[in-house]
Amino acid sequence: MLNDLISKHIADVSDYTEIRTQIDTNCGISIVSGNLVGNSRVTASGISARVYKNGVYGFSSVGEYSDESVKAVLNAARDNALFLDRRVNKNKPALYDAPVVNYTDTTKIVDVPQKLLLDFAKELDDYIANKYPDLSSRSVMIRCDSSERLLHVSTGSSAYSVSPRSCIYVDMSAEANDGSNVELFEVMDCARGYFTDVFTSPDALYDKIEELYQKLMAKKEGVFSEAGVCDCIIDSSIAGMIAHEAVGHTVEADLVLAGSVAATNLGKQVASDKITIIDYAHTAFGKTVPLPVYVDDEGTPCEDAVLIENGILTGYMNNKESAVHFGMKPCGNARAHSFDDEPLVRMRNTAILPGTDRLEDMIASIDNGYYLTKTQNGQADTTGEFMFGITMGYEIKNGKLGRAIRDTTISGVAFETLKTVDMLSDELHWACSGYCGKKQPMAVSDGGPAVKCKINIGGR
Amino acid sequence: MDISNLKEIAQYTLSCLKKHGADDAQCKVGHSVADEINIDAGEFSLMRSTFNNSISMLVIKDMKKGTIVINKFDKESIDAAAKECVENASVSAEDDCLSIAPVEGNEDFSYGVGESDRDKFFDRINEYMENLSKDYPKVFVEQLIAEYCDGKSVFANTNGVEFSNQSAYYSMSSMYSAHDGDKTTSFNSTGIDFVDLDKKILDMGTQRMMYELCEKELDAVPFEGKFTGTAVFAPSCLGDIIGTAIGSFTTDSSIIDNTSPWRKSLGTQVADNSLSVSLIPIDPRVVGGERYTAEGYKTKNCDIIKNGVLESFCLSEYGARKSGEKRCSTLSGCMEVHAGETPYNALISKIDKGILVCRLSGGSPAGNGDFSGVAKNSFLIENGKITKPVLETMISGNLADMMKNITDISKETAEDGSCVYPWVAFDGVTVSGK
Repeated sequence: MLNDLISKHIADVSDYTEIRTQIDTNCGISIVSGNLVGNSRVTASGISARVYKNGVYGFSSVGEYSDESVKAVLNAARDNALFLDRRVNKNKPALYDAPVVNYTDTTKIVDVPQKLLLDFAKELDDYIANKYPDLSSRSVMIRCDSSERLLHVSTGSSAYSVSPRSCIYVDMSAEANDGSNVELFEVMDCARGYFTDVFTSPDALYDKIEELYQKLMAKKEGVFSEAGVCDCIIDSSIAGMIAHEAVGHTVEADLVLAGSVAATNLGKQVASDKITIIDYAHTAFGKTVPLPVYVDDEGTPCEDAVLIENGILTGYMNNKESAVHFGMKPCGNARAHSFDDEPLVRMRNTAILPGTDRLEDMIASIDNGYYLTKTQNGQADTTGEFMFGITMGYEIKNGKLGRAIRDTTISGVAFETLKTVDMLSDELHWACSGYCGKKQPMAVSDGGPAVKCKINIGGR
Repeated sequence: MDISNLKEIAQYTLSCLKKHGADDAQCKVGHSVADEINIDAGEFSLMRSTFNNSISMLVIKDMKKGTIVINKFDKESIDAAAKECVENASVSAEDDCLSIAPVEGNEDFSYGVGESDRDKFFDRINEYMENLSKDYPKVFVEQLIAEYCDGKSVFANTNGVEFSNQSAYYSMSSMYSAHDGDKTTSFNSTGIDFVDLDKKILDMGTQRMMYELCEKELDAVPFEGKFTGTAVFAPSCLGDIIGTAIGSFTTDSSIIDNTSPWRKSLGTQVADNSLSVSLIPIDPRVVGGERYTAEGYKTKNCDIIKNGVLESFCLSEYGARKSGEKRCSTLSGCMEVHAGETPYNALISKIDKGILVCRLSGGSPAGNGDFSGVAKNSFLIENGKITKPVLETMISGNLADMMKNITDISKETAEDGSCVYPWVAFDGVTVSGK
């Protein structure tokens, strides 16, 4: 556990100040077609301080953690804040006065040996190589990241947290009849916890590997989607991307201030009344969410942020500064990635709430459209226009699933697409294997039910 | 250890790796000091100064590899990490293609300014915002990050290779959109690397053109229908097509596993003969660049495609040994797509129906090069003229086919301190809207 060298220094500051120390570890194993191309362990630790002065921040970080380095970053952060304040003279008010919280995470830190990860990956790779000799290539990747952090804020708040996450990914490709190479990637599992908490043995993943292989075989025979706007069902396994990309980013308060489409839509109907979207802090539906956050990196206790309720845009995600600007209560969305990163407004566990429809009925309701089941990535615009890369899906013809489709892209404008939603399935699927990119990476999760909507799909 | 003597730290690291049983070892020791000014929603928001250290270690033991990265320079931390790195190699998988670089001539490099002038730097950024507001009043800077970074590094290996590099320069990136009443555009971004503060930053590169186009995008309308025609990729997103094709078809992963459609195409025509692409990390138009590779070889510029012929794969030494091909003399991202002979206006005037793409929002292409994405900040071209900005427009095609379907390359190029790109017209691209 990190020693507390901070609290004695935070008592001496005069301006609003945060001091944070972290130890971040990333372990990776990557086997590509039997070749071990990645066997790495990256550890970064250090300390940073951020000082607020009349509407501007000064920040400094150093990769050492000692009494001297705490003093050094405090002085540098204060000097930076004074420099900027003197030059721009914004004269903005004090930050939101969040309740004082003192939080201590009890998660036990586990040091998982690299050999264990390597043996696990090798066994999975050997299994895939023997079982599926017709593949043209295969990859097995393990990624484990962990962040231990201690935060003290001049308001009196403090937080000690430990956030481990472990994921296994498998990628397969096969040659299609036309000679082209068709590829499919799947997260075998990803969850909060150290590797040994999340994964028991390779054979527990064999069913998922078989499922991936069968989908690849279907995709090999797949057809290109027809370009244009059509009825689609976005599977629950990827629907969280809508919550995150299409809506979530537009209601991050810093992007609202930057002119996002949400700036002029607060209180307005922006989606079908079936749509409710919440950025959960740590608990949803009586269970701990995939990546719980209890206190953010400004020392604000975390609560759920309701973004859209029954189709009405109800709120933004804030930090302490934007909360004052918008007259809202911050819900703990200020998060920093590494020790040398300042907190930004970030999502946590963002989900569309499920509906009452059965997936089979949703498919049966479409004459000509697509059922989209895997996504590769997504991007959003401040205008609400979004895109996702689709790597697996099926035609829907006359209410029935048809042929698989090749890779494509879907796009839409969030507040228009969401108004076309007329069915939501009764299930909820969370995904937490990715990073959100916004100046810094950030581990986030998203979730949702299967969503039926009209969307623009790319194709030939 | 003494932060001002990175060579000593590197040699100490190698000695620890050898002590713990490495057969061969390499390390890269880095120290950087950076000053960063941030603007958010049009206002100065943050001044950052960061001091970062790093040591990357690589060990080969019994032809097995381990790597580790730490950010501590004290002897105890280095020794502990070296021990762990060797242990990781011990449990790794044997691979007879592993190697470290031989000595070919050690060298010390330096580039750029030695010290940041914080006041002048701030003044230049402030001036940038004032110029922008005056010349492009409808443009709103959503976020701007300006940085001065002084980075020092030393690479050393147990064969006796030792390179050092000091590189100090400024960079600026801006994410922006235009607003006029209820009308708003998609965001776009522009950026530039530069060595000194002698010139106005807004006058560098193609920033003025980008901001001018942004204001024109305010009248964008959703594109309706579908056609197959010519897509002109602007320098701001040409890397998404040509850079992605090079990255997907010529680098270690797709060459080693034989999934690249260009796997057997070395020395053959893979693109229209008007296309030549080089990696140019050592070039007066490139700021910073690269002086030695990640594997410890002295960097040299490299032609990848010359007159449409694939001259080189972009392979590391490991990839080269694994595939039986040649190592590329740089894997730097500093790319030049060589200029053509057609003036930009003439290039546009030849197109009956097409689209000028200034930003592409899309996923990674499929292994065979199939891609689709949303054409952002883009304009319709009709009867030889740029007619209107469009929204909600998808484009799709196949990267390998597109390389062969280049119809024109502009005479003009844009430089951002990292890459040199012209405007390139590709035929046979599917454009679809509502």
